[in-house]
Amino acid sequence: MSDEVGEARVGELKTASMTLQTPHLLPVVNFYCGGTRNSLYGGGIFRTIKEFLSSHPETVHGRDYSEFFKGVMSSVAALTDFNITQERYLDYLGTPIRDRVEFSDFDGGLFVDSGGYKILQKGGLSGSNFDLNVSQKAVYGIQRAFGGDILVNLDSPLSPNDDYETRVQKTEQTAEYVREFLALTTREESRYLTIHGHNRTMIDRFLTTVEHTLNRPLKGTFDGFALGSLVPYKDDMGTLIEAVTAAKKELADRDLGDLPLHVFGISGRVLPLLVALGVDSFDSASYLHAAINGKYSTSLFDTVPLSQAIFDDCHCPVCETEALRSDMRGNTRYQKDVLGPVAVHNLAVQQFELKKIREVLQTGDQDRFRSYLEEMYRDRPASRKFAYRTINKTLEPYF
Amino acid sequence: MMEKSVHSRRPTVNEVNEFLETASDFENPLELIREALSNSYDARAENVEIQIDELSDGRTRIRIKDDGVGMDADGLASFFDLGNSNKSNSIGYKGHGTKIYYKSDSVTVETVKDGSHYHAEMEQPWKRLNNHQLPEYQYQISPADEASFTKIEIVGFRSGDSFSSRKITYNRLDHYINWKTIGGSLAHRFDEDAHEMTISLELDDSLDRTQGTLSQSSRFKFPPKRTDFETTSDVDNLCKHYPKKILTVNVDGKEVQIEVVGFVAGKAAREELPTHGRHSSQFGVWLAKDHIKVERVNDVIGSDHEPSRFFFVANCQALELSANRETIRNKSDSVYSAVKAELRRFITRVTENEWYREYTEARRAAQQVRASASQSESIANRKQQLSLDGHKVPSNPPEVIASLAIYNETADSDIRVVDYEPGADANAILTVGEKLEAATLVVNLHEIFESELTVSELERIVCWSLGDLDVLCETARKGYFGHSIDFVTRGDQTSLVVDGEEVPIVELRSSLY
Repeated sequence: MSDEVGEARVGELKTASMTLQTPHLLPVVNFYCGGTRNSLYGGGIFRTIKEFLSSHPETVHGRDYSEFFKGVMSSVAALTDFNITQERYLDYLGTPIRDRVEFSDFDGGLFVDSGGYKILQKGGLSGSNFDLNVSQKAVYGIQRAFGGDILVNLDSPLSPNDDYETRVQKTEQTAEYVREFLALTTREESRYLTIHGHNRTMIDRFLTTVEHTLNRPLKGTFDGFALGSLVPYKDDMGTLIEAVTAAKKELADRDLGDLPLHVFGISGRVLPLLVALGVDSFDSASYLHAAINGKYSTSLFDTVPLSQAIFDDCHCPVCETEALRSDMRGNTRYQKDVLGPVAVHNLAVQQFELKKIREVLQTGDQDRFRSYLEEMYRDRPASRKFAYRTINKTLEPYF
Repeated sequence: MMEKSVHSRRPTVNEVNEFLETASDFENPLELIREALSNSYDARAENVEIQIDELSDGRTRIRIKDDGVGMDADGLASFFDLGNSNKSNSIGYKGHGTKIYYKSDSVTVETVKDGSHYHAEMEQPWKRLNNHQLPEYQYQISPADEASFTKIEIVGFRSGDSFSSRKITYNRLDHYINWKTIGGSLAHRFDEDAHEMTISLELDDSLDRTQGTLSQSSRFKFPPKRTDFETTSDVDNLCKHYPKKILTVNVDGKEVQIEVVGFVAGKAAREELPTHGRHSSQFGVWLAKDHIKVERVNDVIGSDHEPSRFFFVANCQALELSANRETIRNKSDSVYSAVKAELRRFITRVTENEWYREYTEARRAAQQVRASASQSESIANRKQQLSLDGHKVPSNPPEVIASLAIYNETADSDIRVVDYEPGADANAILTVGEKLEAATLVVNLHEIFESELTVSELERIVCWSLGDLDVLCETARKGYFGHSIDFVTRGDQTSLVVDGEEVPIVELRSSLY
């Protein structure tokens, strides 16, 4: 960490093979979408994203997009979405992503999620001519085969409808996965522990259960923590803030507060507040989903229908490239080539904003950070009270 | 054919009608006091004496004397003219207010300035105006070696139908001055050197004989600060001051400043404030000009909060007042909506402050105490009225009662429900052996805390299961409306401990399965 402003912190996240500036947003990238090497392993709009990420000449038109993909999130669960054959599965896992010729221009960090939620929902990894039983061992094998820099244990995320017994059962199951995860991984790998729960009691019980199952202290065991189960609350700022606050406090009480904290699957309007609460990294597919729904981002908070977008107002490399502007206006053969650039533009908007936040935090000036948050939320009545509450919690209170 | 010609004419004003119109805006004799105090303030007076009495013919006489800088011939002209004030940056800059004096039988002004004494008189101004004549005033000048002062005497002010001068009392006048005039100014909160006046009132015995004179400062006082609370009974007395804050908004490229100061308080603290009109209608957020409250804008508080907890005054000189200074004139301007939007943000900062959130919790806890007291009474009544002598998982309290019967057989116990009241927090009276007990019957124990039921009067809890242990644990961690909560297990008996008092829990499921 190089600077702290209230609870917010700015610094670098280092693993054996990569360094990311924090706070950092890792876009979700689906590296395998069922195709072949020639089609960058397929995937419609996902493929176009991969073309941007790998500097495919016909797509990037001479511009560099690497700053938006310095760290990306991928998931083992990506393999479940396509009717993969055993042969292709084995071939795909034969070479780590960054070592493949087709991705040779990509040198960003890879955070590989276990995809627990999706895999467990489907009951396993099912291909066209084979089935793979989901186990921590299998998931870890795939994470390593991808060449992940940061790995997380397989987990059983909580659902808002779970009753207490279900939550306890899921926590115990996750703790068991964690035990196996530690036995499989080495100290050379960056190991993140997934945390689940949205208040102090739930997170305390979760960490206690894991510690008890491991029969060893968490301190010195993990390189970071990743808070999950929050996607269902993505529009409930109050719960998100409580969950992150609870996780931060529990980790601090256990002398683990210095380790990085990642939040799974959240970005958008709550992002500056989560930074204020001390979150170091996030991942999100919202840039993609917005594009798929025909939405063009005008800020971290706002989108307009693509047909109403004014590209002149944006200074991202996508909007500054005439050929891509033409693509976004619909002058392409395939829809993926219309929406792919929109997604990358949407990502650029989020990345630019996070860069701005880092710059504000680097000044170490509490007043500037407060002014930034004030300005961001001043005309957004629904979010404003949460912004003010966060300011009161993390910076010098108003009164 | 007639040739085209160009003409120019200046619009004219019917002076009499203009005076009549302006004076007609004023109905209330208290507004006369307000105008006089503003003039005294602008004249840098330190002391103002107001005397009101009734002449033998029944007419009211109002006399106002101040030790301000006094007036010369130009000052007098400005005093009597309409819309021709010689003030540029003060309360009475429009020159409308003094025309309230025209609504009377006579106006006499005596004033000393720079060694000269001026005596001016205007007879029957209201009668003359209504006869379409412009009233005149005569004045005399003589040398004087006194310090400067101004004394104004108004006889026979014409009140509107809704207000009789006989309604003027010390209490009413005092509260009016504090609330609606410069006498209730908050200027000193923003400028420590702001001018202070002492205002003395003396009413004729025929109007109010409750006291001799009344004297007060022109500075509006807040109830004293009390921000710490330990017990729920402290909550009513709380008063947190929010120090001066200058908010700046940009309206059409111009910076507009809003000076805000105020407090959040409980009922008892609010009672310490002077009021004008109904007490409860005085709270909320006030827009002010010249630091005098004009209109409330309680919609900036938001529906989640009760306006009566707040008292904030937001002064903005960019607001324009109506001729009688009772309302804001420029509501259609962008400045008005910008000021309100900024105040909405300000109040959100207040309500999202940790102290306010704790205070809200404390108030809810106080409501629990009151509910508990009422419940205690209700339980006593219900007890008095009673002369004592494979399982289905219950989904509601009556089904818990059915399970209890099976439990009694299985666990060799004798707990019977002798009174059940669905809507009550303690919804059951039980007999346990010979004893009557107030109990809550719930399917899952955690529902008690999620439904925010009162727990302080409980003697036993009957539940199907303990339910969500995280909710119970979180309640034990955070406390429950000021109560400490814990759960203890001795042998196979689990109890809820409320502030050290154990309440046994009958968990039916654990015995039946």
